[in-house]
Amino acid sequence: MSFEYLRPRTLSEAWDLASARPGARFIAGGTDVMVRLREGKVRAPALISLRAIRELAQIEIGPPLLLGSGVSVSELQANPHLARQLPVLVEATRTLGSVQIRNAATIGGNLCNASPCADLAPPLLVHEARVHLASADGVRELRLEDFFVGPRTSVLRPGEVLHAIVVDTPSTGRAIFLKKGRVQMDIALGSVAVLLETQGRTCVRARVAAGSLAPMPVRLRDVEKVLEGAELDDRTIATARQAIERDVRPISDVRASADYRRHLAGALLERAVRTLMNGGRR
Amino acid sequence: MDELHYVGKDRPRPDAADKVSGRAHYIHDLVRPGMLWGKIKFSEHASARIVHVDTSRAARLPGVRAVITGYDTPEVRIGFLRDNFALKRDRVRQFRDEVAAVAATDPDTAAEAIELIRVEYEPLPGVFSPEDALAPGAPLVHERDADGRPLTSNLLSLTVSHRSGDLAAGERASRYIVEGEFSTPLIQQACMGTAGCIAEMDARGNLTMWAKTQIPFLAQRDFIRTLEAMGLPGRNARVIVPTLGGAFGTGLDTHAYEYIAVLLAHRTGRPVKILYDRREEFANLSPRQSARTRIVQGCDAEGRITFRRLQVVQDNGAYTSWGATYPTVMLMPATSLYKVQNVEFDAKIVYTNNTYAQAMRGYGNPEVTWPIECTLDQLAEQAGIDPLELRLRNKNEPGERTPMGLQVTTCGLGECLEFAKTKLGWASKRGKQRGLRRGVGVASLVHVGGSGRIYRSDGGGIILKLDDFGNVNVSYGGVEMGQGLHAALTASIAEALGVVPEKVAINPTDTATCPWDVGTHASRGAFIACNAAIRACAKARRKIFSLSAEVFAAEVTRNLKGILKKNPGYTPPAYDVGAGCRPENFELAAGVLWLKDAPDEPWLKLELGRVLRALHFRGVAGQMVVEEAFYEPPSELPDWSKGVGNMSASYAYGVQGFEVEVDEDTGDVRILHAVAAHDVGRVLNQQTLRGQVQGGLAQGIGYALYEEVKTKDGRVLNPTFTDYKIPTVHEMAFPVDMCFVETNDPAGPFGAKGVGEPGLVPTAPALASAIWDAVGVRINDLPITPEKIVRALREKKAKE
Ligand SMILES: Cc1cc2nc3c(=O)[nH]c(=O)nc-3n(C[C@H](O)[C@H](O)[C@H](O)COP(=O)(O)OP(=O)(O)OC[C@H]3O[C@@H](n4cnc5c(N)ncnc54)[C@H](O)[C@@H]3O)c2cc1C
Repeated sequence: MSFEYLRPRTLSEAWDLASARPGARFIAGGTDVMVRLREGKVRAPALISLRAIRELAQIEIGPPLLLGSGVSVSELQANPHLARQLPVLVEATRTLGSVQIRNAATIGGNLCNASPCADLAPPLLVHEARVHLASADGVRELRLEDFFVGPRTSVLRPGEVLHAIVVDTPSTGRAIFLKKGRVQMDIALGSVAVLLETQGRTCVRARVAAGSLAPMPVRLRDVEKVLEGAELDDRTIATARQAIERDVRPISDVRASADYRRHLAGALLERAVRTLMNGGRR
Repeated sequence: MDELHYVGKDRPRPDAADKVSGRAHYIHDLVRPGMLWGKIKFSEHASARIVHVDTSRAARLPGVRAVITGYDTPEVRIGFLRDNFALKRDRVRQFRDEVAAVAATDPDTAAEAIELIRVEYEPLPGVFSPEDALAPGAPLVHERDADGRPLTSNLLSLTVSHRSGDLAAGERASRYIVEGEFSTPLIQQACMGTAGCIAEMDARGNLTMWAKTQIPFLAQRDFIRTLEAMGLPGRNARVIVPTLGGAFGTGLDTHAYEYIAVLLAHRTGRPVKILYDRREEFANLSPRQSARTRIVQGCDAEGRITFRRLQVVQDNGAYTSWGATYPTVMLMPATSLYKVQNVEFDAKIVYTNNTYAQAMRGYGNPEVTWPIECTLDQLAEQAGIDPLELRLRNKNEPGERTPMGLQVTTCGLGECLEFAKTKLGWASKRGKQRGLRRGVGVASLVHVGGSGRIYRSDGGGIILKLDDFGNVNVSYGGVEMGQGLHAALTASIAEALGVVPEKVAINPTDTATCPWDVGTHASRGAFIACNAAIRACAKARRKIFSLSAEVFAAEVTRNLKGILKKNPGYTPPAYDVGAGCRPENFELAAGVLWLKDAPDEPWLKLELGRVLRALHFRGVAGQMVVEEAFYEPPSELPDWSKGVGNMSASYAYGVQGFEVEVDEDTGDVRILHAVAAHDVGRVLNQQTLRGQVQGGLAQGIGYALYEEVKTKDGRVLNPTFTDYKIPTVHEMAFPVDMCFVETNDPAGPFGAKGVGEPGLVPTAPALASAIWDAVGVRINDLPITPEKIVRALREKKAKE
């Protein structure tokens, strides 16, 4: 395995390098791309590291809250502002890989990977995050929801860089992220993020997203519809469970069967809603 | 045993500091001058004819020094039944079959060269389960055996059977009978250090192998045979064992990759290293055998076991390793776990085109303890007897001779059960926590505790070389693979010889310097090594005491002169040193030689090194103290046609218990508390023992809840830790109560029994029992995954 390794200091330098080397890939923490290179699942004549580009490593508390794509998972985990403003994202960082992986892995890499099991996606989806995609032609802004198009595919064009993730003033609702692996340190067999705004026992706003339960991280609008405007009682929860089991599109693989994943979606959803109703998590 | 100074104490292992500070050298670290890197081209089919192998492009790649195939190298037959070849010719029988190999100047070039080798196959039908393999008309995995005799079935000739008592009478005497089918999966040993070796040949054709092996001397024999096959008769194979990062049974056979390294070293005249990466380890190193067992077991109204019948079918895979002899160990729990008079046992092992399997810790024991303990739990349920009470009623006892002919000398099973009962709070918990989805469960084990005879010698030799400074250099042919053999051996030698442990240094295992040992398996390492050591230490003490009579007086007289010089007024007590220097009057303790009848005189004490120097520097009378001993345990090689024989010098018992909480919605099992009680005979080293038990527990939990090598049509589907899950520190984050019952076995060194394997034997059934207690479902096929629990709960609900 041999490749050229480049470390530009600015974005424009990165674009120049990329356009001069067809097939080159960006690398951030490398925790995904290096594994895939070694396994021969991707090939790249050159790797262009984004690590030395300062502007990608910033966090702006805002509002709006702006997270540079190069912020590491460990930094997200340790940031005191985030713990207050986006606790559900911080929660998702805790079970992402191991300490060593979190130190290297970036939020941008997690999203650009476009893996269905990206742990940081569901929390950002329930907060209706947007992404800034930057290329030599300029910056475009998209909803994160529209960023993913399929397993390991996103709308990123060749040479385009995920610049930042933007979240509007954090919602007044409370959110939770639940993930289930085979052991604690594992890729999710299924994960669910839920954000609820309630008045009394009535849900006024619900955002539900899932990982590993569809070809990409997804918002689950049918489930949201069941919850929104409803009394959060046993019946609503049972209906929501049925909705999520219909709404997800899991696969069977060596990790779990589609059947189990579907069941898991319901189990995680129910637990998430009940925990939030009982005043847990923010 | 009177007062022990080192045995049983809580001392750090001698290898710990080097290992945690990165100073220990594993096969991964070793480099030889001029060394090349070997790499293997594995089959791309589970069953196929090899039509053509084109190595020309690989051979032209710069940096490649050799490309070899089965067609251009001598035929090297390997394996327990010699049904395997180092490099395959004409036919592949499993995905990992070795078709070609290269040696290159660096690993990347070797990997690139492998990609350039083109193999043309003609696919053949395969069989991927024992059932399919035994079906009429099934394609044969092997058409002939190693002697060229035609084979007519995929059933191996290695069947093991046992009949004792009267099964029909046992059935008649039964009030309750439970039957069922249980299975245990293929699992990976998951050694932290992957497989690898370096082969180096001298100009005369002698081989030196740095091998990740547990059987250096049987490996030596295997490699010498290979040299003969290569046209190098009369040459030696020297086997050196580097620090091992775990072996767990993977080192009980020699492997094709090792022979390929030899062939490459021979071809190139350079040392050749082959090292598996993790993916190769998962896909190409033999996992633990899988087994499917039909069991029927009964008990009378009081819960006494009346009979037991087991029929085991094992998937051998395409070739045969020592692991095919699991049934010889399965017989032990089948006939001797709890008192049972009427036993029928039959085991079959079948060729398939799956990856061939090999040994792993426990060696057949957990495979059979699983169905025995699970059905015992069900019997207790049917009989309305508390399952722990039922086990107590059937417990083994000292003095018992079991149906297999095992002579139980000492047995702490009762104490272990009582400990588990107390620590788990059994009386207030079993059957009382369904509402909380919590449950407790226990299961027991019996295992060989005094080695296990499966070869004509079950012994091991040791050499103690004492030097001029009082160091004790130890050469023992068994293998430290992480289990703590050196800790046990150090404590035993310090104790038995009378030196401080810091003076005991254990040499690397090397067939050129160490006496023969059959191999480190069957929990025998410390048992054999320490028994041999005790005998060698006794010889050394006799020699030191008899020779010291000649030098001691002169040395202590010098001591006295020194004292008098410093303190002229000193009057020594009246003591006749000449008369005191009788061999039986000497004592050696903590590295100091003194006289028993004058224990309080400082000038009458000599440091051992000084004595040894005095013995050495005596002109023509000079002598060295180098002693050896060979220990052969008092056990029998069983008659396998009847399945009878006292295969071990003692038997180890134990009990594990768990409290779990089961999430009924997700199927998750959380362990809240574990109890591990083991009859160890005697603790040799506290830390090492706790480590062994903790490690066994982790491995047992992996086997019970998470691990399985998944295959489809012979291909391994999860060859990485991404998808092969072993427990991590998070899964082990519960309190463990350990208890070591010291039964002081007469055959054991200081009374000790082997404890290497027991730690994972009863784990799965103990957990299964706790899960049943928590949520009322039983899973018969390991691992007990959340998915299986959810399915079983759903089925249970549908029935209610
Ligand atoms: C042992 C292990 C455990 C893991 N556990 C988890 C887990 O529990 N949960 C989980 O979600 N993931 C897990 N991962 C996957 C991985 O660590 C994460 O997805 C991580 O966030 C990836 O970030 P990275 O910076 O390392 O990405 P990289 O590997 O550097 O990049 C990933 C991909 O994104 C592209 N890319 C990166 N940054 C940008 C950018 N700014 N613009 C455009 N393209 C970009 C790269 O070209 C590449 O294709 C694990 C990985 C390992 C090895």
